[in-house]
Amino acid sequence: MADLSIDLAGIKSPNPFWLASAPPTNSGYQVQRAFEAGWGGAVWKTLGDPILNVSSRFAAVSFNGQRVAGFNNIELITDRPLEVNLKEIYETKKRFPDHAIIASVMVEPQQEKWHEIIKRIEDVGVDGYELNFGCPHGMAERGMGAASGQVPELVEKQTYWAKEAASKPVIVKLTPNITDITVTAEAAVRGGADAISMINTINSLAGVDIHSWNTIPHVGGKGAHGGYCGPAVKPIALNMVAECARNKMINVPISGIGGISNWQDTVEFLLMGSTGVQICTAAMHHGFRIVEDLIDGLSNYLDEKGISSVMDIVGKSVPRYSDWGNLDLNYKVVARINNDVCINCNKCHIACEDTSHQCIDMLKDTSGSSFLRVREEDCVGCNLCSIVCPADGAIDMIELTNELPPMTWNERQSFLGGISSESVDFVK
Amino acid sequence: MSEYQEYRLEREQIDFLLERGYRITRVSESLSGAFLDFELIEGTKQEWKQLNIKTPEGRKYFSTLLFKKKLN
Ligand SMILES: Cc1cc2nc3c(=O)[nH]c(=O)nc-3n(C[C@H](O)[C@H](O)[C@H](O)COP(=O)(O)O)c2cc1C
Ligand code: SF4
Ligand code: SF4
Repeated sequence: MADLSIDLAGIKSPNPFWLASAPPTNSGYQVQRAFEAGWGGAVWKTLGDPILNVSSRFAAVSFNGQRVAGFNNIELITDRPLEVNLKEIYETKKRFPDHAIIASVMVEPQQEKWHEIIKRIEDVGVDGYELNFGCPHGMAERGMGAASGQVPELVEKQTYWAKEAASKPVIVKLTPNITDITVTAEAAVRGGADAISMINTINSLAGVDIHSWNTIPHVGGKGAHGGYCGPAVKPIALNMVAECARNKMINVPISGIGGISNWQDTVEFLLMGSTGVQICTAAMHHGFRIVEDLIDGLSNYLDEKGISSVMDIVGKSVPRYSDWGNLDLNYKVVARINNDVCINCNKCHIACEDTSHQCIDMLKDTSGSSFLRVREEDCVGCNLCSIVCPADGAIDMIELTNELPPMTWNERQSFLGGISSESVDFVK
Repeated sequence: MSEYQEYRLEREQIDFLLERGYRITRVSESLSGAFLDFELIEGTKQEWKQLNIKTPEGRKYFSTLLFKKKLN
């Protein structure tokens, strides 16, 4: 069986599955049960001045039968005194010395506040810290969380202050509520972060009740923006991880978070540069036991591929992620319909006819039955027909060999720029 | 005319001029697509032609030819 243990900036855990800082890690009782179930690590519910929460905190966005396609919350950080949390962290670490316990921390952007809280946590035996610069609601209005996480100078300074006091690795958790996450990631690195984690939740309003006209959720008739997470945010999180992973200035490990629901999602985050993942919504939806499937699935995947350690796949897809301008303009795929598998629903025809390039023809065979065929020369290879097709295997996207050599947009523009001044002579 | 046929026509026009010995002297790209200036010098005789290449495949085609030439 492959070795699933990870080492993230010196923080070791028996497997790459950590619970993210959120309700599942609110107390020692929960984290200990999670470790018993098999989770490798837990980032404790964010510590700081205990807050007050409102009732009616969560809402889910359901889509086409999926109960929790997205999840929205207006919950703040821990509402329990620091001493209570520290006592439970201590007890949990004692019972599970080989599991990773990370203290998530959020205080006001002042040096003494950071020093004070880190010093108080130091003794209970945490394996590292995670600075919560991401919470998008409530705390942000008080200058903390996303409010300070959106200002690169504040990210750098606060990281530096935390590092001054911490003897254990410091992970900086970034907010996705920013145009370019690499800017704040670089700031964290400049501040001395040992690792970064992403993403926290995305500003959101889950919905509006069209009958009562209240927001969803509402607190006695009033709503406020919340933070969005769950499966719907995975592509956003994955891109942010990838952008950081391929940025040479961001040379620290990444803990990937956002919409991870199964072992396949985990593999994707690892391939894109995460050294381990954190999970919240999937655990809230299905309970701690999901970790069994996560471990089995990942382990079988690695065994089938003959890979002995999970760390060996970290970042393997990063070199394949680039800028649009570096993609080959002469690479070509076209759609091909397998008429034996096709169930003649015509969805591909409608999609291509109405919203793409009008190149799926409806034809009749000799017996008068209709069938579809792609005019490959007009197909731009947009993939839309294969996306909407409900019958697996009915449409293949086929790679064509091009007689023209690869050429990227950047290459094209770099030589076309000079061409008006010099003539080009060539024999074909 | 399908866009593919339009592209084939553009491609044939480009190939035709190049095969007759024309050189591309200028490429300018604008909202109307690409304009290619061709020049033929035979002894003292000079001839010019211009093609407006509109299709995306056509614009990929001529630039790939130029790029290939540049690489060699
Ligand atoms: C109800 C709820 C409370 C959360 N509280 C915190 C928190 O206190 N500190 C923190 O850093 N992130 C908090 N988060 C964000 C999660 O840690 C995580 O970054 C986010 O949910 C994305 O992961 P997911 O898609 O697996 O849920 C919270 C998320 C939810 C749903
Ligand atoms: S790939 Fe796009 S253009 Fe080609 S047939 Fe399908 S929908 Fe049409
Ligand atoms: S969408 Fe798929 S199943 Fe439906 S007609 Fe097209 S190829 Fe056939």
